[in-house]
Amino acid sequence: MPVIQSLKIGVSGVRGVIGESLTPQLVVGFAEAFGTYLGGGVVVIGRDTRPSGEMIYHALVGGLLSAGSEVIDVGVCPAPTIGHAVVDLRADGGIAITASHNPAQWNALKFLRADGMFLNSYQGEELLNVYHQGAFVIESGDALGRVGRDEGAVNRHLSKVISATNRQAIASLHPRVVVDSCNGSGSRITAGLLEKVGCEVIAINDTPDGHFPRDPEPVPENLGQLCEAVKEHGADLGFAQDADADRLAIVSADGEAISEEFTLAFACDVMAEKRSGPLVTNLSTSRMIDEVGQRHGCSVLRTKVGEVNVAEAMLANHAVGGGEGNGGVIDPRLHYCRDNLAAMALILEGMATRQVTVKEWAESFRPSAIVKEKTPCSASNIQTVLLALQRKYAGEELDLTEGVKVLWPDAWLHARPSATEPIMRVIAEADDEAAARGLCDEAIEAIDEAIG
Amino acid sequence: MSSFAAGVSRPLKITIGGVRGVVGETLTPDLLTNFSQAFGTWAGPGKVLVSRDTRPSGRMAQHCVLAGLAATGCEVVDLGICPTAALQLAVKDSDAVGGVAITAGHNNADWNALKFIRSDGIFLNHHQAEELLNVYHQKEFTKAAWDELTPIGSDHQAGRRHLDAIRAQLDLDTIRAAGLKVAVDCTNGACSDFTPGFLSELGCEVFPINDDPNLPFPHEPKPDAANLSQLRALVRAAGADAGFAHDADGDRLGFVTEEGVAPGAEYTVCLAAEMVLGRGDPGPVVTNLSTTMRVEDVARKYGREVIRTRVGQVYIAEAAFNHRAAIAGEGSGGIVFPAINYAHDSIAALAHIVELMARTGRKLSALVADLPQYDMVRETVPCPSQRAFSVLQELRDDLEAEWATEVNLDDGIKLIGADRWVHVRVSMTEPRIWVISEAAGPQVAQDLADSYMQRVKRLL
Repeated sequence: MPVIQSLKIGVSGVRGVIGESLTPQLVVGFAEAFGTYLGGGVVVIGRDTRPSGEMIYHALVGGLLSAGSEVIDVGVCPAPTIGHAVVDLRADGGIAITASHNPAQWNALKFLRADGMFLNSYQGEELLNVYHQGAFVIESGDALGRVGRDEGAVNRHLSKVISATNRQAIASLHPRVVVDSCNGSGSRITAGLLEKVGCEVIAINDTPDGHFPRDPEPVPENLGQLCEAVKEHGADLGFAQDADADRLAIVSADGEAISEEFTLAFACDVMAEKRSGPLVTNLSTSRMIDEVGQRHGCSVLRTKVGEVNVAEAMLANHAVGGGEGNGGVIDPRLHYCRDNLAAMALILEGMATRQVTVKEWAESFRPSAIVKEKTPCSASNIQTVLLALQRKYAGEELDLTEGVKVLWPDAWLHARPSATEPIMRVIAEADDEAAARGLCDEAIEAIDEAIG
Repeated sequence: MSSFAAGVSRPLKITIGGVRGVVGETLTPDLLTNFSQAFGTWAGPGKVLVSRDTRPSGRMAQHCVLAGLAATGCEVVDLGICPTAALQLAVKDSDAVGGVAITAGHNNADWNALKFIRSDGIFLNHHQAEELLNVYHQKEFTKAAWDELTPIGSDHQAGRRHLDAIRAQLDLDTIRAAGLKVAVDCTNGACSDFTPGFLSELGCEVFPINDDPNLPFPHEPKPDAANLSQLRALVRAAGADAGFAHDADGDRLGFVTEEGVAPGAEYTVCLAAEMVLGRGDPGPVVTNLSTTMRVEDVARKYGREVIRTRVGQVYIAEAAFNHRAAIAGEGSGGIVFPAINYAHDSIAALAHIVELMARTGRKLSALVADLPQYDMVRETVPCPSQRAFSVLQELRDDLEAEWATEVNLDDGIKLIGADRWVHVRVSMTEPRIWVISEAAGPQVAQDLADSYMQRVKRLL
């Protein structure tokens, strides 16, 4: 019987299936490793609404206390709240218990450092070295840590979002918004936030019990219920959250789920008009971000895929905005993490100041389509495939920051190995879907041929 | 982190009494999580209650235990800090399938342990403990899927319900009328938030010390005479009628008379028996093989039989249950009141001795003096664990004790004469052999112990 590998231990954290690979022993070990890695100090722990979060929380606390760390529990909260709390409490690190957009049987640990950002790949590597060496700090007696509780973390985070928002503008528009929190950690608090910034709110799936009524990934194919609700309530728009409130998707007034790529484009359009400086996104994100840059005279920097890569580049380059095309918006005025509460506030403000609907705003961008494909590619074939692609596209403009990205005047293609599965991801954007799909198919054919 | 030399046994004991070790060395979060998941696998599915005493490692251990149990899909209920007897009562009185007490009882603060309780509130017996160990060693634990996990509950009233259950057994009017002055040393343990208030409810004037569960143990949390100097001084200074000392989890009770004398925990079981048999509770008295023969004297006074068991809490509790005993207990100061629960219960013991004083109107020193005067000697011989049982076997083959009228081989070797006994047994917790004797006269007892010490040493 083939073994199904559900455990992913990588530089971006630990992810597994409850009842299979993500055991309390594994979590205890990683908590001990993280406490050892930080060398004591305070660790903030928060979690999304998944039922397994509580078990994992206790396993983490046991391991951290043993390693001499103090723990501050911020409870069930959006993932960005944890980053804020790490900074607010001057903690030495944090752990987010969330598998974000993955289905309910998954959960994961994501590690934050003292500046409230996720560990980068080097730091993740160091943590893994500590974990694998297994020589953890084991304290005893009064050197064992204690656990505190911070009840105010969510409200402090929401207050920061509210004060960064032009509430007068939104209130004068007073949009009717349907929000689908997927019973995740955005439940209840998102409706409260949207009301505070001047919206009329209809909340669906806002029971924070982690029983997801849909696949939590906020992409159009999962948003049928929200689309219906927007039409039914005659709402101006709909927002869809994932389980830990970092990614956002938008539904227009006519009940159409627009591409999640618009989330970042809209948000950057607003951030770039407020202040001047570059925009940062990853290599696989829509060219719409370049269009935003042209509108506001900003440069656009592209990084490897991964929240921390974008966040670190934003920090280093004093970016005015950034994020990822999957609906993850980073507003650097608040914090260097993806935050869909901040994204909602920005987008509502943009609609109000522009006096546009979602549809009109989307149509202000040059039409394009992104196609995201994948093809099997084992680790041992990655180099072969990437070299074959470089040869195939040798005459074109190439960006080799991560995998191979081919740039044409009106299209691009990005092939990169997945960090979590033995596949090559192939993403293309062009003026229409047929053209984008053609680019993907051509690349996949070349990949399959290279593997033989 | 303290170190230990090669060849010295590691401070970890995985026995039928549970898993016990030194935090910072052997009792790691991983071990705690594994054992808890093993227990959830063994006891579940169903409700499992968890309590802890006040030692600093208890918080860390508690989180590991909650995680390990929860991962099996058990419905976990956290009772917080309370006496182990309160946990045992809560397990018995609920539909729980088991309980885990996080406490190293009378051991120093660097130790901690998990003690496993079955659905009737009694510790696992050795058959059950062996099953649990097999689950632990096989490491094929129940792993609940995400939608089989149950939220962790909490119940902070278990300690209160325990006090109410004790109070229901007491003659409150008699105790209140006596208006006794009682000093109590809670060793900053699990009884800290319970006993002083409870004594006030009983109408006693209370002089508590070391009753802050947030502070470290002021002394070894073992209520032996050696650890009671502070309490003795308090009793004299306050002019108290009695002083009582708990261990860290409310299992053993030591006491000090109004004269400031600590006669030793061997007297605790005698006074408790005097109270319960005098009150007329039916049934025999259960104690272990190493406890004072004064127990027989008390039982004889009320025409009761004494049943002696192997050393270990579960043996006492199971015998008390099987024989429908009036009372059970051991010389360490752990007393079982079957009318309340089959748990070693130092708060219940304290309350019953207070009632004995109130009912008889006698001073505590006089109640002690009423008991026969014997002397007990407790010696140990260091012995590697891997040799201990062989040594006893060899000693058994070479017995000559004309003075003995009875030989009991239930737990090592016990030789019993008309006015003396000696008990040679393997320690369950340390690599050594106990030699315990009791006789009328200190020299007789010492000579008896010495002679068997020599025999053991010769075999080593």
